[in-house]
Amino acid sequence: MNKNQFKNRHPYMFIAPAVILLTVFSIIPILIAFVISFTDLNLKGLADWSTITFIGLENYKELLSDETFLKSVYNTAFYVVIGVPLVIISSLSIALMLNYGSNWLFSTFRAVFYMPSITNIIAVAVIWGYLYNTEYGLFNYLLSLLSVENIPWLQEPTLAKLSLIILAVWKGIGINMIIFLAALQGIPKSYYEAARMDGANRLQVLFHVTLPLLRYATFFVTITTLIGWMQFFEEPFVMTDGGPLNGTLSIALFIYKEGFQFSEFGYAAAGSFVLFIMIIIVTLIQFKFRKSETEY
Amino acid sequence: MVKKKLFGLMAIIVLSSVLVACSEESGSSDGDENTISVWAMGEKGKKLKKFSKKFEEENPDLKVDVQAIPWDRAHDKLLTAVASGNGPDVVQLGTTWVAEFAEAGALMDLSEYVEDYPSFAKENYFNGSVSTMKYDDQIVGIPWYVDTRVLYYRTDLLKEAGYEEPPKTWKELKDAASKLADRGEEYYGLDIDRNDQITPFIFAWQNGYKANLEENDLNFDSPEFKEAIKYYTSYFEEGIAQAQQGLDIVQAFKKGTKPMFFSGPWMINIINDQAPDLEGKWATAVMPKKVTNTSSMGGANLSVFHNSDNVDGALKFISFMTQVDTQIEWLKASNTLPSRTEAWEKPIMKEDPMYATFGKQLEHTKPGLPTPQFERIAQELLSTIERIVVGGADLEEELKKFNKTAQNLLEE
Repeated sequence: MNKNQFKNRHPYMFIAPAVILLTVFSIIPILIAFVISFTDLNLKGLADWSTITFIGLENYKELLSDETFLKSVYNTAFYVVIGVPLVIISSLSIALMLNYGSNWLFSTFRAVFYMPSITNIIAVAVIWGYLYNTEYGLFNYLLSLLSVENIPWLQEPTLAKLSLIILAVWKGIGINMIIFLAALQGIPKSYYEAARMDGANRLQVLFHVTLPLLRYATFFVTITTLIGWMQFFEEPFVMTDGGPLNGTLSIALFIYKEGFQFSEFGYAAAGSFVLFIMIIIVTLIQFKFRKSETEY
Repeated sequence: MVKKKLFGLMAIIVLSSVLVACSEESGSSDGDENTISVWAMGEKGKKLKKFSKKFEEENPDLKVDVQAIPWDRAHDKLLTAVASGNGPDVVQLGTTWVAEFAEAGALMDLSEYVEDYPSFAKENYFNGSVSTMKYDDQIVGIPWYVDTRVLYYRTDLLKEAGYEEPPKTWKELKDAASKLADRGEEYYGLDIDRNDQITPFIFAWQNGYKANLEENDLNFDSPEFKEAIKYYTSYFEEGIAQAQQGLDIVQAFKKGTKPMFFSGPWMINIINDQAPDLEGKWATAVMPKKVTNTSSMGGANLSVFHNSDNVDGALKFISFMTQVDTQIEWLKASNTLPSRTEAWEKPIMKEDPMYATFGKQLEHTKPGLPTPQFERIAQELLSTIERIVVGGADLEEELKKFNKTAQNLLEE
């Protein structure tokens, strides 16, 4: 090590803990999973490494012809396409509404909307399981008052997907709403004053001042929500276990089942890499779109 | 300058303490030589903590450290133990997992200890249990408790349907169930849990189905198997059993909408607790018969983990838990059925009509197929049945597909 490098060591020291933690707990596991995805590692192989064989791209080939996996890809796309816009639109509208005032009523509602996102998923599953029950659930009871037939919320593949989306949107609103609220409050008052002087009405202010200035927040929320929904796991895991007829099986749940229920670690690792690549692609597309827009 | 150095030092300390904390947690299971670490699952695990005090009294030089693991996390936890080689001394294994973990070499071969510990001998256990003890001629587990499925039924409602006695054959079961289902729109005759992986096999065994694992033939294309699945699905098709998830079974049993179902011994307490006013209106009976009245052999075995550092203690503990007297005590403490056949000769087992049913059923039981792929195959079968019952797929075709998938899984 030459003298100059030693002198400049301090920035490295500061980032060292983060880098080391990231390497040990994220990068190395990812690399190991990558290697595993080319092997037939299963429970036997885990106990005795000599029984592991390298099988090249076999796992990936099998994945692409695995009906269950393709189904899970379709389901995940379904979740993302419907869920992500729903979450963004609802959290943004709620944030806009909550931004109008700051008295106790508004802060109560902030808490109300934020509550679901800090509630334990098991508790959520129990309660929503009751709400969705076909025979004695609250939803069907309310519908029966309007003389609507019993709806099998979780027992029909497409309907079950939608039911899980409703649940996940309800759970996902809180955290995004907080981000939007923070961004909204960061917008300088002077812009609004200027707009008002120019005679802009409320809608014009919303579309020409507020929304453009929320671009960074929207971008951040879109990316995190998108990644979150591509890894959609908890809701189907606790509510339906992927059923009925694999109608709610997501890619993440597929990986979990292969890996931990059936001990096919190699296969599961390959699945997780396919998901990984899909997420990277989607995120890159997002960044591409953002660059083409004018900066404020 | 000193300050900067301090900073670096602190960063190192923080980081290393994090790493130490991590490694400490994973290392907690291998204790000193006098401690026997035991992994037990579910509610039983919690009760075993208290129960093992008795063992400590008898063996003052040994300490038992019981870790209770929830059932739904147990499989993951065992996988990590196999991967890290850092397991307990004694581990409780559900009987359907034995083949899987034995194949992975995670369980110690106990054959050479049978002479020293007579309670390990296979003569002590039910036929159905004996096959769960062995893997490839090794003895890898000792049956700790057993369970089997029997028929639970509402005596009053069956009487109304003209059945003074529980249905004894498939034909009678179907007949009684359809009569009960005909009572009205909300009513069903028999409840079959479609998520239960052993029920389809129970029907198949009753119909004379046999797998030929020595020759790698699962025989899922045999007429016996096909007929059994047809019988099983017919209950859903004819509306005798509810295909959709409905009311919780205890509530439905109480209301009388589902007056019959198959379940294990744990249900006795649940019904007594949650539906106390049903007392005297329900009973248990052995399975209805087709060719045989076979039921499943479930329960759990105790095994020694392959790199246990306290083998002697582990063996002593297993031996203690499989003594006839201990098993009767354990029955009282936890309501699990003793695995030792000798324990079933005791008056407490013979006089209680509920236990007596199980005793009778236990003589005709089979465990799940002893192959490491059983879990996978059973899950495939459940999805196949789901496609037939819920998705309306063709039975013949689906079973053909299932046979192919299962056969591939086995030969993999």
